[in-house]
Amino acid sequence: MLFSCNFLSSASVVHEGTPVKDVVIKPDAPSALILDKHADYIAAYGSKKDDYEYTLSEYLRMSGIYWGLTVMDLMSQLPRMNCEEITEFIQSCQHECGGISASTGHDPHLLYTLSAVQILALYDNVQAVDVDKVVQYIQTLQQEDGSFSGDKWGEIDTRFSFCAVATLALLGKLDTINVDKAVEFVLSCMNFDGGFGCRPGSESHAGQIYCCTGFLSLTGQLHRVNADLLGWWLCERQLPSGGLNGRPEKLPDVCYSWWVLASLKIIGRIHWIDKAKLRAFILACQDEETGGFADRPGDMVDPFHTLFGVAGLSLLGEEQVKPVNPVLCMPEVVLRRIGLEPDLLS
Amino acid sequence: MAEFEKEVSVLVQRVVRDISNAFKKNPNIDEIGIIPCPEPRYNRSPIVLVETKLGLESWCVKFLLPSLHRKLLLYRQRKNYLDREALVDVTVTLLLLNPDFTTAWNIRKELLQCGVLNPEKDLYLGKLALTRFPKSPETWIHRRWVLLQILQQCYAQKDCRKEQGEGYLCHTEATGSSQNLCTHQARLLHQEMAVCSEAAGRYPSNYNAWSHRIWVLQHIAKDNVEVFLDELSSMRLWVSMHVSDHSGFHYRQFLLKALVTELCKSPESTATATLRQQGITTSGERAHLKDTRPAFGLEESCKEWQPGVVTVPRLFDLEVDFCSELIHSYPGHETLWCHRRQVVFLWYQWRREHPNFPGNTNEDDALHFCGISKDNGQACSSTETSVNGLTCGGDAMEVDGLPDPQDATLVKRGLLMSCSLALHAEHSYVSSLLDNCCNLEQRRFALAYKKWLGSIIRQ
Repeated sequence: MLFSCNFLSSASVVHEGTPVKDVVIKPDAPSALILDKHADYIAAYGSKKDDYEYTLSEYLRMSGIYWGLTVMDLMSQLPRMNCEEITEFIQSCQHECGGISASTGHDPHLLYTLSAVQILALYDNVQAVDVDKVVQYIQTLQQEDGSFSGDKWGEIDTRFSFCAVATLALLGKLDTINVDKAVEFVLSCMNFDGGFGCRPGSESHAGQIYCCTGFLSLTGQLHRVNADLLGWWLCERQLPSGGLNGRPEKLPDVCYSWWVLASLKIIGRIHWIDKAKLRAFILACQDEETGGFADRPGDMVDPFHTLFGVAGLSLLGEEQVKPVNPVLCMPEVVLRRIGLEPDLLS
Repeated sequence: MAEFEKEVSVLVQRVVRDISNAFKKNPNIDEIGIIPCPEPRYNRSPIVLVETKLGLESWCVKFLLPSLHRKLLLYRQRKNYLDREALVDVTVTLLLLNPDFTTAWNIRKELLQCGVLNPEKDLYLGKLALTRFPKSPETWIHRRWVLLQILQQCYAQKDCRKEQGEGYLCHTEATGSSQNLCTHQARLLHQEMAVCSEAAGRYPSNYNAWSHRIWVLQHIAKDNVEVFLDELSSMRLWVSMHVSDHSGFHYRQFLLKALVTELCKSPESTATATLRQQGITTSGERAHLKDTRPAFGLEESCKEWQPGVVTVPRLFDLEVDFCSELIHSYPGHETLWCHRRQVVFLWYQWRREHPNFPGNTNEDDALHFCGISKDNGQACSSTETSVNGLTCGGDAMEVDGLPDPQDATLVKRGLLMSCSLALHAEHSYVSSLLDNCCNLEQRRFALAYKKWLGSIIRQ
């Protein structure tokens, strides 16, 4: 699931009498990348199936697998995961309508259809599911105004527009929907701060901005973005700690650091932020004992933030991990294999 | 092991039944929660009901959730049968524990479609789930689906009545005003606003709650100037008390933008839309949100509308004044500076698009009247008193250079209001603020604003 970061915590630092929502990075916070620990953490995560925890997050299982496998691939550790078991699981999640669900017995949704196709692309095996049916499913979800509903029940969100075009782009079938209309809808969600919200009139949000800039990249329409205005807004997400937040006066978070950073990369403005400080923030979010990344230094780690921590470091030029594609959050090498090269502004 | 499973099964059945009975006996339950309690202390139900609060002892959740989850998924895969009543009860318990379980909401949608469930009951379940999980995206999504069902029903009834020639009983035709909503819609609107406010209060900058609020206005009160003005005035107090809530301020920007669009559609009629006395008032008077205010658009509320004129320039003027007050009272809040940018940007854009709109007087004359020299963009002189009688010191922007507050008031109420928003005035405002500001954060935001004014707005 795209941005399901629900890990609540708060911190307030007082500077000169004004409360600033930020964190302080302690001097003994991790400052070196401990890749081995992260790979062990992810490899072990899938095998421990605590009944309660497993149940609580089953509604987004497919995305969970995508986070785990992608970060393993970025760390060149994909062979440690059970390809056969995962492929069978994905097959069991494809429904009659063509859509794919988060887990067996759950209802199909665009969010998990994209995750499933991303996983299969990592394994160079999209044919494991009925591709024509996936395409049909996505076609049926496009509305008259060009928007996409997430499933048959009709909820509209720019996240779903991204899911639709990202899935189709990975399958090489972008021409099967009305792209012009789809673009028109996404542009109708642009705000006067240059950002994008979930629907026309909704507030700009770093996660939605990532989806919309990613969407415009895949559809070749990035010239429609006001890159300076949007870049300005995105850069102001960087806080004194170096971390990025998703909206004004929110706390910095590793996952928002990814969404903001990836959006800046897409619109060619990544050099507008302090990369060294952001790198220090992301590294400080590692847990040296257990492996994995948390949302903020000292919090509990999870696979979601582990992927976005490693992917963020990759965009910042970390050479120990594979280069990541900012639009699809997958290794560049995988996209080259498919022949997919999403646009980026320079 | 088998013994243990049997015990769990008995426990789960009992808890589901107790929860179901608690709701039947107490239809006024308004909040749910988990009571920290690692072990069962007595041989009694883990359900605790105190007045209108329903609590569940935490020890039972680890048994309850996996068991019900499995049961529902087996049903979904047609491997296990559950009758409709059981489905209703199981989904209630599951969703109160884990409201992002999309498939459980979908099962309820199907039960609603075949008439087993009442849509109002589902809105109530969602409202309760939001007391524990105010952000839960799936709860908000389900809510919008249910609302659409109710609205469709409402429209169908309306069409039916029209066809039968009974005359539409809703207020719409009784007053001949398309601005008003039918009683049912008004009640629904009021209820949704309350649910959003509650969730917004429970979690700061609650994106899902505020984007739901916008959706509701777009679907229930589309183009309704009265409702939008009412919202703008009632939100004034809320945002004043939540000066870091970016979503709350975005909502004001949304309202302003919608109002500007509406007011420009028909300048001769809607541009002079009446302004409720209790609502948008002068910047010196705090708007009061009456607890007992009637539902939107109903006849009673119309009586409260007093003559007064709201024009686009006035709306902007009031909003910038309001923003200045907040920036002065709560220094160093990024949200307030973001709001200023958005309002000024929207205003600037509108001015450019409507050069001949009444009130958009010649800029040079306007600036002259405001005592602002266009050459240097600075106020000619300054005063310690602002129009609203509050001592704003260097923060006062609009009427710098006007010696008499009485005159200032006249000017402010007059035709020249739009000029107070002129770019020069903004530069002047920020310069004078910086002259007297020693708060580091405030300075940082003010300088960023100045830079923004200089580069972005001129594009």
